[in-house]
Amino acid sequence: MSLASGPGRARTDTAHLPDDLRLYIDKHVMYIQSLDRRKDELEYWLTEHLRLSGLYWGLTALHLLGQPDALPRDEIIDFVISCMHDNGGFGAAPGHDAHMLYTVSGVQILAMLDAFEDFEQRVQDGKRKIGHFISNFQNRDTGTFAGDEWGETDTRFLYGALNALSLLGMLHLVDVTKAVEHVDSCANFDGGYGTGPGAESHAGQIFTCVGALTIAGRLDLVDRDKLGAWLSERQLPNGGLNGRPEKLEDVCYSWWVVSSLAMIGRLHWIDKEKLATFILRCQDPELGGIADRPGDMVDVFHTVFGIAGLSLIGYPGLQEVDPVYCMPKSITQRILAG
Amino acid sequence: MGVYSDDPLWADVEPLPQDDGGPNPLAAIAYTDEYSEAMSYLRAVMASNDMSERVLSLTEDIISMNPAHYTVWLYRARVLLTLKKDLKEEIAWLNPTALNYQKNYQIWHHRQTIIDALDSPEGEAEFIAQMFERDAKNYHVWSYRQWLVKRFDIDDESELKAIDELLRADVRNNSAWNHRWFVVFGRHEGDSLDETVLERELKYAQAAIYLAPQNQSPWNYVRGLLRKYNKPLSTIKPFATEFASLDHPDDVHSSHALDVLADIYEGEGTKADAAKALDLLAQKYDPIRANYWTYRKFLLGFPPEPDHPIFHHHNY
Ligand SMILES: [Zn+2]
Repeated sequence: MSLASGPGRARTDTAHLPDDLRLYIDKHVMYIQSLDRRKDELEYWLTEHLRLSGLYWGLTALHLLGQPDALPRDEIIDFVISCMHDNGGFGAAPGHDAHMLYTVSGVQILAMLDAFEDFEQRVQDGKRKIGHFISNFQNRDTGTFAGDEWGETDTRFLYGALNALSLLGMLHLVDVTKAVEHVDSCANFDGGYGTGPGAESHAGQIFTCVGALTIAGRLDLVDRDKLGAWLSERQLPNGGLNGRPEKLEDVCYSWWVVSSLAMIGRLHWIDKEKLATFILRCQDPELGGIADRPGDMVDVFHTVFGIAGLSLIGYPGLQEVDPVYCMPKSITQRILAG
Repeated sequence: MGVYSDDPLWADVEPLPQDDGGPNPLAAIAYTDEYSEAMSYLRAVMASNDMSERVLSLTEDIISMNPAHYTVWLYRARVLLTLKKDLKEEIAWLNPTALNYQKNYQIWHHRQTIIDALDSPEGEAEFIAQMFERDAKNYHVWSYRQWLVKRFDIDDESELKAIDELLRADVRNNSAWNHRWFVVFGRHEGDSLDETVLERELKYAQAAIYLAPQNQSPWNYVRGLLRKYNKPLSTIKPFATEFASLDHPDDVHSSHALDVLADIYEGEGTKADAAKALDLLAQKYDPIRANYWTYRKFLLGFPPEPDHPIFHHHNY
C-alpha cells in the first residue's frame, strides 16, 4: 500500500461547483484499491518508508466508506507480519528498522481486521512481544516515549504507545500516570500543546495529547474552553482549517482539529457545513482521492483524514469514526469492551 | 550493469533484493533500476553490519534519491560515529541537503545527533537563520532551535535579538512568539517572577498589536502574560478599547480586542456589555464561530435561542 500521490488532482474550478457536490464514495474506494497496483511507478517505492502506515490509512478509509473488505484480508495480514522484527516492533516495510509509529499502525490494522487471534497463532507470543517493544521506549523518570532506539521523544510517540497498548489490553505495562504528567507539562500559554514542553502549539500534536489524555481517562486536566477556543480559531473563511495561526488550510487538519474538538465536547464550535464543502472541493471527482487543498495532488493520507473529518461532522453515508483512535467506532467499542 | 555491480569496491558484497514478505502481490517488485540496486546493497551491508567507508557514499546516494528513508539516516549516523569521522564535514554536507528538503524530519534528527556528538553549536545560529529565510515557521527548525538553546544553554539576549528580527520581518509569525515565551519563561520554570520582565513583554506585545491589530499571536501572548503574573485582564482595558468599543460597533479593528473586552466586562459584572461584545463577534466580526460566542454568552447566564445547536450537545 502506498502513500503515492496522484495520479489525480483535486478540482480547481471553485467558482463553478456543481450543485450536487457530494462525496464520491465509489471513486475513493477504487482509488485506494488502485494504490496497490502502481508498483511500476517510482513514487510507490519512494514511499516505502511509509508503507505500513499507508496501509492503515487506506484500510481505515475503506472501513469508513463502508467497504471494509475491499482489500484482501489474508494478504494484508501476511504483509503486516512480514514487517515485524523479533524484538516485537514493526518497520514500515520488510527490512526497515522497527519504529513506534509503524508498530502502532500494525496493531491498528490487526485490530481493524479482527486479526489478533490469527496473528497470535502465526507469531508465537506476538502480542506480548509488541507490548514489550512499546513499553521499553518509555522513560520511566519523565514518562515520555521515544520512537526508536535513537531516543528522540515526541508526544506523537506517547500517544501511539497508549493507543496501541490500550487496543492490546496492555496499558499496565507502562506508567500511565507519568505519561499523563508529561502531556500536562506540554500545555502552552495559548491553551494548545506541542511536541514537548515549550514547543509551539500545533493541531496535530494537540490531537495526540488530547487523545493520550482521553485514553488515560484524564481529560479533566484540559482547559476545554481555552483549548476549544484556540482550535475553533483554526477555521478560515473558506471553511478549511489550519494547524497553527497564520498558516494555510489543509484537509488533514479537518481531522486533527475536529477530532480534538470532539474529544473535549466542542465539535459544534466550528461551522460544519463550511468545512464539509471545503473537504468535498478537495476531491478528484474522476479518479478518486482527496488532496490537501483544492487543485493539489491527491494522496491516501489526505484521503483518509478528509473522510474521517466528514464522518466526525456527521456527513451522511459514512461509518462513525472514533475521534481518539481514527478507526471505526464499532471496532474500537468491540475491542475496548474486551 | 549497475553503478554498484560494476564497481570493484563493492565486488565482495552480494546484493540482497527486496524481501517482500512472501508470495504476496501487495508488495511485488518493480523498482526503478538505480534505486533498486542501491537499496539491495544497503540491505546487504546492513545484514553484515558493514561499517566501512564505502557505506557513507552508498547512503549519500540513497539519500539523494529518497531523503525520507529513515533507516538510511540511522545507519549512516551509526557508521559516522563508529568510524569517528570528521563531523564538521558531515554538517557541511548536510547544509545544502537540509535546505533542499525542508520538511524532512530525518535530516533534523540526524543533525541533532551530529551536533550533540560535536558538542558545539558553532555556526548553527547562522544556518538556522538561512533556513528561516526560506520558511520562518518550519516546525522542525524551531524544535531543533529549542533543543540547541537547552543543550548549550544559549543566552537569552542573543535569542531575543534573533526573535525580534524575525518578528520585524513578519509580526504574524506564531512560531517566533512561541519561542519568545519559551526563552522568557519556559526555560526558567520555577524562577521567581520579575515585574520588569512583565512590563517589558507587555510593551513588546502591545507594540506588535499596533502594527497588526487582528493578529492573534500577540493577543494570546498578552493574555498568557497576565495569567502568568496573576494580573486581571482589566489591566489592559484602555489598550483594548483603542481597537474596539461598544460605542462604535461599526468601527472595530480587532475581534481579539472585542473578545478581551467581553471578558473584562464579565469580570466587572457588567454582563449586558459583555453580551453586546459577544453578539458583535457572533453576528459581525467572527460569524464562522457563532456557536462559540453563543456558548460564551450562555456562560454569562443568557439562554440561547431554543433551536440553537448548543442544545444538541450535552457534554460540556
Ligand atoms: Zn495535510
